[in-house]
Amino acid sequence: MTVTSQIDFEEAKSEIGAIAAKSGALVGGVAAADAFMAAPEGRRPSDILPHARSVFVIGGAQPRAGDWQSPNYQHMEVTSTSDRMQTLALKIARTIEDRFSYYAVCVPPGVDQGQQPFMSIAMAADLAGCGSRSLAGPVLHPEYGFMYFGAIITTMPLPADKRLDTPACPAPECVAMYAAENTTPCFGVCPIGSGGCLGGRLEAGHISDRQYDSARCSTRVQNYWVPGFQKLLGATLQEPDAKKQKMMLFSSMFSRTLWSMTYSNVSQGQCSECMRVCPVGLAHRTKQ
Amino acid sequence: MSDLETETRTQQIKQLALEAGGDVVGIADPRAWDEHVPHGHRPDDILPGARSVIVVGSRGPTAGAWRSPNHRVMEINGYDFRNDAAIHRVADAIEQQHDHQAIQAPGLPVAGHLPPFSMMLAAVLAGLGTRSLAANIILNPKYGLLYYSACITTLEFQYDHMLEQDVCPHHMCVESFRRFGKTPCMAACPSEEGGCLDGSIDDQGRIDYSYYDRERCVTRAMNFGINSFQKALAQIVSEQDEEQQATMIYSDFFSRSCSAITHYKESVAQCFECMRVCPIGRSERKLK
Repeated sequence: MTVTSQIDFEEAKSEIGAIAAKSGALVGGVAAADAFMAAPEGRRPSDILPHARSVFVIGGAQPRAGDWQSPNYQHMEVTSTSDRMQTLALKIARTIEDRFSYYAVCVPPGVDQGQQPFMSIAMAADLAGCGSRSLAGPVLHPEYGFMYFGAIITTMPLPADKRLDTPACPAPECVAMYAAENTTPCFGVCPIGSGGCLGGRLEAGHISDRQYDSARCSTRVQNYWVPGFQKLLGATLQEPDAKKQKMMLFSSMFSRTLWSMTYSNVSQGQCSECMRVCPVGLAHRTKQ
Repeated sequence: MSDLETETRTQQIKQLALEAGGDVVGIADPRAWDEHVPHGHRPDDILPGARSVIVVGSRGPTAGAWRSPNHRVMEINGYDFRNDAAIHRVADAIEQQHDHQAIQAPGLPVAGHLPPFSMMLAAVLAGLGTRSLAANIILNPKYGLLYYSACITTLEFQYDHMLEQDVCPHHMCVESFRRFGKTPCMAACPSEEGGCLDGSIDDQGRIDYSYYDRERCVTRAMNFGINSFQKALAQIVSEQDEEQQATMIYSDFFSRSCSAITHYKESVAQCFECMRVCPIGRSERKLK
């Protein structure tokens, strides 16, 4: 297949998927660019790339089974990042342009003005059938559970995948637990009514209501990295005692915060407790 | 060592560099630096006994990123460090397969604001491009703007010649200058109107004079990153009002600045307007 011949877009999609898989992605899928109607204006694919037709989504780089087993919780804080998927997304964007001569742009990581993402990669993953939104917050893949995602917007009219017929969350185990105890594993580990972040309701085996305290969660999930640095900087600058201020600057907390900023540019998972108890993807977190 | 062996080795290392992510590769004779830079900035000053400098260039933003109406997309997706990755593969291959020393040439300043080794000069001497009217950026005849990295090694390769013909000015720009007194890049960012560029073209169609206001350019090309972090931090530290200080720390501007310095990945070049109008490499950015 060359760019001068008629492109078989189904074949092209398989080829891109194979490159993604070879480069470390566990899952891949395509969402139609015009399917993002639930996103606010300015945050849709065509706002980033005019005449966008498709969004190719990749997922992977989740913590390994061994990471989940480590008794040192700080281990997970420093090894779980989305950078690998972001790097791979850039590679795929380049592949689409070089191989098929269609425009492609990687959805930028991080936040844009107003601390809002350029485009919701979680929504893209959901629309591309790479997973579904969960009670705990992250998009969960039915087999692998939690993972990091990257997205590439392109003018290439790739055949779109459909959303999952059966959402990954709630898992049958969680439905049963909710019926018996009125809670799920993730609600139980971080209950919004007791200082946690999660709450909600299941009806007929489906999510009927969901509560997620995003602000509270970020203070736990982002202990280090940019939000941690901002918090520490404010506290340090407002410390009137010069000696104490120096102690704060040279503290392990401040050092860790700076270190964490140097090895991950986007996001780092630093709590993961709601995911630790999640039955979705448990088989992949369980090894000998 | 026969010429044939050197030629074969040269072809092999160039092929490796391209497979590892480079878009172009060239090799320069370390002695060529002598007439251009002072002692301390030559290949032999960095690796004693240097006999070759291998230079790899890779494209920055994808063609899709160039088309985005959201300028902040380019601010973030400008660069993916493929040239650095390729140079590491090249250096590894030289040390492991040929038993010669090889290092990645240092690209960032270690004291003052001048780099110990000029990648721009390396690219010119390796025949990959020539200096342009647009901020002295080295333009490659095929791709235009590229990012460069270099490997200095004690192993000898066949050297490439410098380009015989200047890449800049393009004949279209020569015509534009003769008619309007400006090239597209000068018109996009004229120094006499608060911009960064000025210059002139002689009767032979070559650069006669060029002016580049580097300090002014930095304030535009580096909206986020180390520079904006330093600027914002100075303002935050000197703010007396605690509430105002906290607002500045948690602003999206400071968040983006912090995020941009993490791993130096999110944000490197952020203006691109002189390159947007440059005809060199434009065909490479024209896709479907």
